[in-house]
Amino acid sequence: MKKQAERLDLTGVPCPLNAARALIKLASMPAGTLLEIVVDDGEPSANVPVSLEDEGCRVLGKVRKGHQWIFQVQRQSGG
Amino acid sequence: MAIYLDNAATTFLDKQVVRLVSSLSREKVANPASLHHLGVRAAVWVEHSRQIMAKRIHADPQEIYFFSGGTEANNTVIKGVASARKKHGNHVIVSAIEHPSILEPARWLQRQGLHVSYVKVDREGAVDPGDVARLITSKTILVSVMHANNEIGTIQPLRAIGQLCRKKEIYFHTDACQSFTKVPIDVRRDFLDIATLNSHKIHGPRGVAALFIRKGVAIEPLLHGGHQEDGLRAGTYNTEGIAGFGKAVEIVDGHDIRRMEQLRDYFISHIEGNITGAVLNGSRRSRLCNNISFSFEGVQGKELFLLLNSKNIYVSTGSACLANRLTASYVLQALGAADERACGALRMTLSKWSTKREIDTAVKYLRIFVAHIRRKV
Repeated sequence: MKKQAERLDLTGVPCPLNAARALIKLASMPAGTLLEIVVDDGEPSANVPVSLEDEGCRVLGKVRKGHQWIFQVQRQSGG
Repeated sequence: MAIYLDNAATTFLDKQVVRLVSSLSREKVANPASLHHLGVRAAVWVEHSRQIMAKRIHADPQEIYFFSGGTEANNTVIKGVASARKKHGNHVIVSAIEHPSILEPARWLQRQGLHVSYVKVDREGAVDPGDVARLITSKTILVSVMHANNEIGTIQPLRAIGQLCRKKEIYFHTDACQSFTKVPIDVRRDFLDIATLNSHKIHGPRGVAALFIRKGVAIEPLLHGGHQEDGLRAGTYNTEGIAGFGKAVEIVDGHDIRRMEQLRDYFISHIEGNITGAVLNGSRRSRLCNNISFSFEGVQGKELFLLLNSKNIYVSTGSACLANRLTASYVLQALGAADERACGALRMTLSKWSTKREIDTAVKYLRIFVAHIRRKV
């Protein structure tokens, strides 16, 4: 059975603290594990995926839900 | 050999903290509020420390805010709550033995026309929650009672006070600068709305502290000019300090706390067994693991302090803030101590590095110097 991805709610958290929290969370997870990150629309939804990719993570998908975005992110091995 | 027994004033940095802070100081640490790549990396240090603080007190990371020290944090609480809740009331309750960083802003509020009540303490320095309840009025907006006193180490019954405040929708704050990591804090169990946590009392860097602020609690900022910490603490982050604070909390070992308790009890019994007319200040049962406070009959604390200093034994008379003044300790006066006892107090505070040998040496010289001073009188 496929395991449900863990979710990290970063709504209301300003940039770049939201990306920092996401990176700390991803660092605590085994490489290859999927994390769903919820961020606010606007600056966070524009900045967070870029910051995560800069740090070696892969953004596999994104969905908009009202004023929020959900990004599916995966930490690469060694990333 | 120097014997440092003034760890309630400040502690020496732990080597692990020094390593982290100095390595960060050599790196290219950007502003954690900057949106670029280096800003995100700096923000990771801030957020990592925030998570460590939150875990230690059973809070959510979003309820932790960093400040430049305990004094700034406490001023923000007293002035900031009074300002944010002025529509709800104009009455604040603080204990009579709070640190000056609580008492002085409370007096400032009084000068602005607000009402402040000072809840008394018993002979051991403990607040009776019933006394707090009796002072509460329909206009009370904040109760602030420190977790453990900086001079005498008495630990307060936070949960009972917190419970009665929560029932009446009054904010409850505790200044936990001396107790943080020494006495367990659970912000949910203790019904805390706000708590002050300090770095330099636990071998972390000076110039950094944190506030726990429960979600939904309203506080106006003291400083304006930046959006850091949700606008509650404007100013560039002290990234190295915050990271060092996180490390200091992370490396706290429960064994060190128990060892300090044993050394404290040994210290107290050794003084009482060797020096006549030694009166313990504070509580025997509910006391910080590192605090030893005594008054010696017929002896001025300042004179004893100077003699010990000449032997490289470093202690404090009353609180460090009052060490250069020959005034009676307001804390001891609040306990009902006569002026002689309130002027004669000597505070000795341990760290995780204190040893039995140091205590033996300190008691040896205490015995000699107390006898010497009494012979002169």
